[in-house]
Amino acid sequence: MAYSKLGEMLEKGEFILTGELEPEKTCDLSHTIQEAKEMAPYVVAANMTDSPLGIVTINSLAASAIVQRETGLEIIWQQTVRDVNKLGLAGMVMGAHALGIRNVLSLTGDHTNLGDVKEAKPVFDLDSATFVKLVREMVDKKSINGHEIECPPTLHVGAAANPNADPMEAEILKIGRKAEAGAEFIQTQVVYDLDRTIEFLRGIKKYGVPVLLGLFPMKSYGIAKGFDTFVPGVDVPKDVLSKWKGIKTDITDKKAQKEAYDQANYEFFKPFITELKSKNLLDGVHCMAVHYPRIFPKLVEVIKG
Amino acid sequence: MVVITTKKEVPEVLEALKDVNKIAIISCGTCAALCQTGGTEGLKYWSDILEEKGYDIVVGAVIEEVCDNRVMKKDLRKMDNEIAEADAILTASCGLGTQSIVEVLSNKYPKKPVITANDTQFMGMTERIGRFYMRCQGCGDCLLNETGGICPIATCAKGLMNGPCGGMVNGKCEVGNYERDCGWVLIYNRLKELGKLDLYTKLREPRDWSESGHQREVVFR
Ligand code: SF4
Ligand code: SF4
Repeated sequence: MAYSKLGEMLEKGEFILTGELEPEKTCDLSHTIQEAKEMAPYVVAANMTDSPLGIVTINSLAASAIVQRETGLEIIWQQTVRDVNKLGLAGMVMGAHALGIRNVLSLTGDHTNLGDVKEAKPVFDLDSATFVKLVREMVDKKSINGHEIECPPTLHVGAAANPNADPMEAEILKIGRKAEAGAEFIQTQVVYDLDRTIEFLRGIKKYGVPVLLGLFPMKSYGIAKGFDTFVPGVDVPKDVLSKWKGIKTDITDKKAQKEAYDQANYEFFKPFITELKSKNLLDGVHCMAVHYPRIFPKLVEVIKG
Repeated sequence: MVVITTKKEVPEVLEALKDVNKIAIISCGTCAALCQTGGTEGLKYWSDILEEKGYDIVVGAVIEEVCDNRVMKKDLRKMDNEIAEADAILTASCGLGTQSIVEVLSNKYPKKPVITANDTQFMGMTERIGRFYMRCQGCGDCLLNETGGICPIATCAKGLMNGPCGGMVNGKCEVGNYERDCGWVLIYNRLKELGKLDLYTKLREPRDWSESGHQREVVFR
């Protein structure tokens, strides 16, 4: 049974492109709405982040509901187990349904200790697998702890995976738990290493959960460098960094520079995705490059064929 | 097992003692002594500071196991005259010791404040003196038989039942700048060595807080 466009495409086995929206510390969602409008023609749905890095932003569910209502773009509500206990999460799942949200991505969430409200009590009552299980109980069994829900929610629930994880086997087996819990799709952390990605995707194939691979097209050399430096466990390849650096230094015309970056992203990701598709390891792509909506037409080209 | 304590900052303790003059210091000779927050060391530390600030130390005693009500009843009786004279009692012990004294004395001396000199950190495992680690949080439903003898609640920064999380990089945890081991990778490695990865792949239910999420007691007699 499909409850959303994402659910329908998963059911039909169609190749999926999703985007990502990162609302900020503000009550004004106009920037997020603008970005959602720009990516809407190209993506099936977009994720709405939940205070990434523990840096507090506007509530993810509120932002999901408003942006979806204002733009018509289907939202994948990201919800971490960091700030809310089981009781609260169950209530939010029903609230999400009532607000028209039909997809949720279950995440652990970065520890409060990393963010800007370090003194907050870290909750982690559930974990990302048992939150998936809770959603599935609410949707499929129409109950919480065996207690009936009068009008039950209908949401598709996904989980995250990290192909860069080392030891990889520990991560692969963990995806098995998420599959057992009932995850209907997987969205991965950003990848750049093709061999590792192949090994990982082969490792989790047996669980039969559709995988949307996390990509991070880099809008500029500064962004690429920043990502390489500040995102632990993910390295941007050296040749990519030097190519992006070359674009920054060699092309002075702003418009030409933008086009060169977009083209470089296309040239890097096209063979990457083609290879994975040819090996039948992918069900879609999740683009995590926030504030770079102009890349979507190129990404559509990347995943074509 | 040791209840790990650290000394409170002096101004905080002085603030708590600002309305009194005569002080009885009870220093715990057991866990706090090992942590150098109690015992003879803690007693001397606080006596010196308070005397220098002009306080009158009516008695200073090192007592083993201040957390045991029976011990405190017996030992406090022996120094009842000094306790009666003191305006307040300062305890160089863990929070259990302080409360043990409160409970033992509150009937006879309901108006006498008992002030703690320490911050109680956790139940600790001792590597050597000065190096203590939290390895158990007393959750009330021990999982060690399923996790290769490594506690996910104490060694995972998020106390996850199904780790590792996305914050693990090269076996290290996102909390503490990737310097500490990820508890779930330790569990994975250990279970792998034991040939018991089936225990690792098992989807675990969330912790049950129904009994442990409020006041806890063990009463069997
Ligand atoms: S599971 Fe961990 S916290 Fe719970 S009793 Fe065992 S060692 Fe202690
Ligand atoms: S990195 Fe490991 S220890 Fe740290 S929070 Fe995640 S699972 Fe727990």
